[in-house]
Amino acid sequence: MNILTKFKDVAARSPWLYRINAGSCNGCDVELATTALIPRWDVERLGCQYCGSPRHADIVLITGPLTRHVRDAALRLFEEIPDPKVTVAVGVCPISGGIFRESYATCAPIDQWFPVDVNVPGCPPRPQAILDGVAKAIAIWRARL
Amino acid sequence: MNVLGLFVRNLMRGPVTDPYPFGPTKTAKRFRGRIEFDAASCEGCKLCERVCPSGAIKFSKDPGGLAFDCWHATCVFCGTCAFYCPTGSIRQTDDWSLAHVASEKFALVEHGLIPNQTCAECGATALDTAPMEGGVKPPLTPEEIATLRPLCPKCRAKFMKARKAKK
Repeated sequence: MNILTKFKDVAARSPWLYRINAGSCNGCDVELATTALIPRWDVERLGCQYCGSPRHADIVLITGPLTRHVRDAALRLFEEIPDPKVTVAVGVCPISGGIFRESYATCAPIDQWFPVDVNVPGCPPRPQAILDGVAKAIAIWRARL
Repeated sequence: MNVLGLFVRNLMRGPVTDPYPFGPTKTAKRFRGRIEFDAASCEGCKLCERVCPSGAIKFSKDPGGLAFDCWHATCVFCGTCAFYCPTGSIRQTDDWSLAHVASEKFALVEHGLIPNQTCAECGATALDTAPMEGGVKPPLTPEEIATLRPLCPKCRAKFMKARKAKK
C-alpha cells in the first residue's frame, strides 16, 4: 500500500484527450486538429495525447452547439468516459450557442446537459487559446485525481 | 547534397514549435479578437446591437444612463459592429486569450456606460452621447461639436435647424 501511494506521487499523470463533435461546423475541430497534429502548436508538450476511444479518455473536448439530433448520442458517449473526467467546451457554440442561440434545432448552452469545467470562447478559438484551455483542464484534472 | 543542406538548415533554424504556454507567442497584426468599446465617443445609435449576428451586444437602460454590454462568450468576432459603427467607438483588439474556468463564464463581458447629463439649454436630463456627424453638410467644426455635446436631442435638433437656415 505504501509503495502504491509513493508510485502515485511519482507518476507523471498524463491525461488522454477525447473529442466530441456535437454538431459543430468543423471550424473548431480543425483548430483542435491543428493544436494536436502540426508541430507548431504541439499539444503533446503538455503531456497529453488524443485517443480514439471514450473509455480511455480523461479530458473531453466538446465542440458544436449540441444539435437536437446528436444530443442523446453525445450524452451516451459522455457517460462512457470514466470518472474523474474534465469537460472543456471549445468555441462559442457549446458555451452559449453563438449564432445558433435560441434555435429550435440546438440544445445550447451545453452546461444544462454536461458538467462543463473549462470554456474556450472563440469562433474558432486560436490554437494558443485551446492550449490555454487544455492546460487549465489538466490542472483541474490533477486536483481531482 | 539536398539532404545535407536540409540537415544543416534545420540545425540552424531550431524548432518551429511555438513556445506558447511556456513562452511568448506571435499574433497576426490584423487578427480579429475581443472587441473594445469606448463610451465617450459613442453616438448611441445602437446600430451595433442591430447588426450583431449572435446577439452578443445589448444596450440596456440604467439609472445612470445607457449601458452597453458585449458578452465575449457568444461574440463570434465577425467585426460587423466595428464595420458599421459610425464613430469608431467599437474596435477589435488582437486579444484571443479568453479561455477561462466555467464559473467565470458570465464575467466575460465588455461593459460601458453612456452617462446621463443635464441639458445646458433647457435643463432636461438626456444622454451624454457624441453629436451625430454623419451626413452633415458642411461638416461640423470642433467648436460646433463642443456646443452640441452638452445639449439634449431636442435642443440639438433646434441648433441644427438654425444652422441650416443660416447657411
